[in-house]
Amino acid sequence: MTTQTKPPPQSSSALNVSVHRFTVDEYYAMAEAGILAEDDRVELIDGVIVKMAPIGSTHIGSVNSSTRALTTTVGTRAIVQVQSPVRLDDATEPQPDLALLRDRADFYGSSIAGPEDVLLLIEVADSSVDYDRNEKLPRYAQAGIPEVWLAILPERVIEVHTEPVGGRYTQMRTFRPGDTISPGCFPDIALPVTEILPGQ
Amino acid sequence: MVTETRLRTKSETAPGAAVQPQPRLFTIDDYFAMADAGILGPEERVELIDGVVITMPPIGNPHNASVDKSNRNLVISVGTRGIVRTQGSIVLNDRSMPQPDLVLLREREDFYASQRVGPEDILLLIEVSDSSADYDRNVKLPRYAEAGIPEVWLAIIPEGIVEAHTEPAGGRYTQMRTFRPGDAVSPACFPDIALPVTDILPG
Repeated sequence: MTTQTKPPPQSSSALNVSVHRFTVDEYYAMAEAGILAEDDRVELIDGVIVKMAPIGSTHIGSVNSSTRALTTTVGTRAIVQVQSPVRLDDATEPQPDLALLRDRADFYGSSIAGPEDVLLLIEVADSSVDYDRNEKLPRYAQAGIPEVWLAILPERVIEVHTEPVGGRYTQMRTFRPGDTISPGCFPDIALPVTEILPGQ
Repeated sequence: MVTETRLRTKSETAPGAAVQPQPRLFTIDDYFAMADAGILGPEERVELIDGVVITMPPIGNPHNASVDKSNRNLVISVGTRGIVRTQGSIVLNDRSMPQPDLVLLREREDFYASQRVGPEDILLLIEVSDSSADYDRNVKLPRYAEAGIPEVWLAIIPEGIVEAHTEPAGGRYTQMRTFRPGDAVSPACFPDIALPVTDILPG
């Protein structure tokens, strides 16, 4: 009748389970209900609330330097948004390091920027480069964001991704210190790579 | 693409390179606040496991039948000595609130109207597995053991067996017996009861 056996060995493989997905509205309702605090460093990616990794000083330096370089060259022709959300769709609202947004009188005070407002995105990546390249980039492409710069700290290169088609960027150029980069939206601007990757 | 997020099994160590962002974890208080704020509706089939809100797969007819059958037979044999809760919530710890298929609870006059059910209230827990056997065995079972739930039966429909897991120690059940149609299973809490396997499994 009964067979006395030892329990099966615990599987070492991870199991894929379906994580419940939230909409952008539910995400904001969590903030209103106090479930997510204002200082929670999170972003909504495909309905999953993910924690953003703490950023190191090299990352901060790159964001600060890029902010100054972009703001001084773009002037009042566009708005430089730093580490704030962009709503890609109903379930995805990342917080890219920098977003260059179409100029708007209210500075997006009345609504969050959508993909159609974004002229250029910059993501600074250190340990997160695989995630930025494999997870975030395709979503930016799918949303139709025309240009994304990946500033990769360990390699000191900047990848410029353009021409989104079918959920991916079909053009990629790599820039190194000594080079300058011109965004498609403002071809008169030529940003030195060293102003985006300022070195320690 | 983040199509699925990995929930690690208990035996898995921390991830090596911290390149994959981790989901923001929630407490059961957060979880209840989501319900209060209408973020999670009462009709939603979710459970909170280690701070992650998990969508439970839809239940098929054999699974439903097994739950109903077990429910009837358990209630009849236990009578008023314990309370049978079907697909309700139990609290394992601050970050885990699963919804097992059946739990046999210590008798209480108010039927736990005034408090959440914790591990100490549970005499026996039954999970019916159709397609979810790996999840039940590798994710939920170690968590039940860790919480000190004394006895768990896994009714595994595809294999036509009931596994009785007992004697939790160190986050796992150290005893497991397998029962097949023709056998009867007795819960340790009520040794006088002998439930035929065919009263638990469908069909």
